[in-house]
Amino acid sequence: MNCYLCDQQLRFVPSWRGIFLQELPEVLCRECRSGFLKLNTSGCRLCSKPGDALCRDCLYWEAHGYQDLIESGISLYSYNEAMKNWFHQYKFLKDVVLAEVFASDLKEILVKERATVVPIPLHPGKLHERSFSQVDQLLVAAGVRYSHLLEKCGETLGEKNRQERIASTDLFHLNGEAVPKQVLLVDDLYTTGTTMRHAAKALTQGGAKDIRMLTLIRA
Amino acid sequence: MRPMEAFLTGRVWIRQAFPFSEQELQEAIQQNKAQVIAGITDAGECRRCLERSQASIIAYYCATCNKVCRYCRTCIKMGRISSCTELVVWTAPTAKQIGPRVFGWQGSLTFLQEKASQAISASIERGSDHLLYAVCGAGKTEILFAPIYEALQKGLRICVAAPRTDVILELAPRFHQAFPDATIHTLYGNSPEQNGYGEIILTTTHQLYRFHEAFDVLFVDEADAFPYSLDPSLERAVKKARKRNAPIIYISATPSKTLQKNVSEHSTIFRRYHGAPLPVPSYRALWNYERKIHRKKIPVPLKKWIEDKLQKKQPFLLFFPSVELIDQAAPLLKAIDSRIEAVHSKDPDRKEKVLRLRNGALLGLATSTILERGITIANLQVAVIGADHRVFDAAALIQIAGRVGRSAADPTGDVLFFHDGIAHQMDQARQTILSYNKEAIT
Ligand SMILES: [Zn+2]
Ligand SMILES: [Zn+2]
Ligand SMILES: [Zn+2]
Ligand SMILES: [Zn+2]
Repeated sequence: MNCYLCDQQLRFVPSWRGIFLQELPEVLCRECRSGFLKLNTSGCRLCSKPGDALCRDCLYWEAHGYQDLIESGISLYSYNEAMKNWFHQYKFLKDVVLAEVFASDLKEILVKERATVVPIPLHPGKLHERSFSQVDQLLVAAGVRYSHLLEKCGETLGEKNRQERIASTDLFHLNGEAVPKQVLLVDDLYTTGTTMRHAAKALTQGGAKDIRMLTLIRA
Repeated sequence: MRPMEAFLTGRVWIRQAFPFSEQELQEAIQQNKAQVIAGITDAGECRRCLERSQASIIAYYCATCNKVCRYCRTCIKMGRISSCTELVVWTAPTAKQIGPRVFGWQGSLTFLQEKASQAISASIERGSDHLLYAVCGAGKTEILFAPIYEALQKGLRICVAAPRTDVILELAPRFHQAFPDATIHTLYGNSPEQNGYGEIILTTTHQLYRFHEAFDVLFVDEADAFPYSLDPSLERAVKKARKRNAPIIYISATPSKTLQKNVSEHSTIFRRYHGAPLPVPSYRALWNYERKIHRKKIPVPLKKWIEDKLQKKQPFLLFFPSVELIDQAAPLLKAIDSRIEAVHSKDPDRKEKVLRLRNGALLGLATSTILERGITIANLQVAVIGADHRVFDAAALIQIAGRVGRSAADPTGDVLFFHDGIAHQMDQARQTILSYNKEAIT
């Protein structure tokens, strides 16, 4: 098969791990794979942004009524050039198979997860237009089970600026399913953290006690 | 011609992006002039690019049509097409506009150019394919003007396709000058919308996907890689864009053996339009150049060559085998002279940097293989760093050498292959150039 991103032929190297541990197949060539930059865990304890133990965005939320709402969090990759290109092709060109690019990362992290995995949902209108939910699809590709507990309210974040975003009320409401105590929220891209805080707030009101978050990318 | 007919004739367009009202479309459908078709056939073939391999036609659960749906990866960059995407096509025949036209080209052709030009016209007349095998600087575009002018007067729809945007952008002004009363469309990725019925379409090979049985004659420039063994979809795009049995004129300085065998009618020009021989590459050892550049040192022989060009005020190109090596070399080159820049295929300022080299604001440009074609700069000097690297095959090296000595005023110049051991491809390029020069004088 060929690399999903540059279309050059992949040299297939059969490995014992692949055969016995049922690892997901590599879909990128080595060059394309090396373009992505993994975040280490030394940065922000909520979003992995390199630097202080609490980044500016997360600090803002802690100081503005969302203190300790989220136990901990992690983002896997930096939003560098390679990631921007991948994200564009996946989300906007709607190249659904690209979900497989990060399937083994997500599988590795989520395979032993005890909490209920809850993806951030799309608005139904948006979902119909895009034809797939980019967050769900990442989990599907990784073979991870998840439950939808949230529904997106009317508007999308798109055109608003940061202030308006933060001020905006209730982005999500509960969909009526029982809310478990432990929840792991999953999203594709962490920018200001607004989406996650709003989702966490709705879940807390529904009875969740221990909310953590996982995002693929930290902008 | 009504606007919708002018727009849609020979094209395949996504309904959602169709620039006419639903009412107009319905009218055309009722009159059997237009049709709406599914983007992917039931058999799993993309109706735009004709892709059908299972690796590229992907099935998934689609939330738009609420069932398993397929989409095409091959042409996804032009807007994704899936089973539930509707495409609009024009089905009514279009009347040919026959009559005299203005010819704005007044140059003259050399004997060899004239011969090739007439041979191409004859092939088009007979409806057969033709290979124009001409060295870099043979004046290929001028050769095409007369055949295109004839085709235009016969009301034929003409396409000139080239693999890269740079080439198309270079051709456009020359075509507008040569055919001042023709509607010429210039198409490349994100090109601006152009109105009316394009009689002459200058396009990147990729944009050909948007056409379907559109052209009466097709010129495929830089057809070196034809048949596209690595990317068969491009060859499909060409075949799909032409009307049934429309002739294809392949143009190449380094045609593959297969192409030479498959196309029976040929013209060859091994002499440049100004008559001077092609510059022959020379070799110079540059041992361990990769490691040296890696250690932040420009190897001495290369540095000397650069300094010599700077001193003579000759613009130069340095071809590198990889983007990483360019990135490492760029600051070192800038330290030699701040007017040396680096450029690679993904550089958004690419066009501008080439322009600055041409007008003298830059003295040198370090580049990956992407610039090997479509660039003509007076008095240009060229060095290949690591000509033995596998990315430089003989065809690429011949193209690189072909950048030098293009103008009649300065028909000579350096083509220097710096190497870490001579490779077969280098010798093959050199031998081929020598053989062209030999044939040119006989
Ligand atoms: Zn790749
Ligand atoms: Zn943070
Ligand atoms: Zn396609
Ligand atoms: Zn669908």
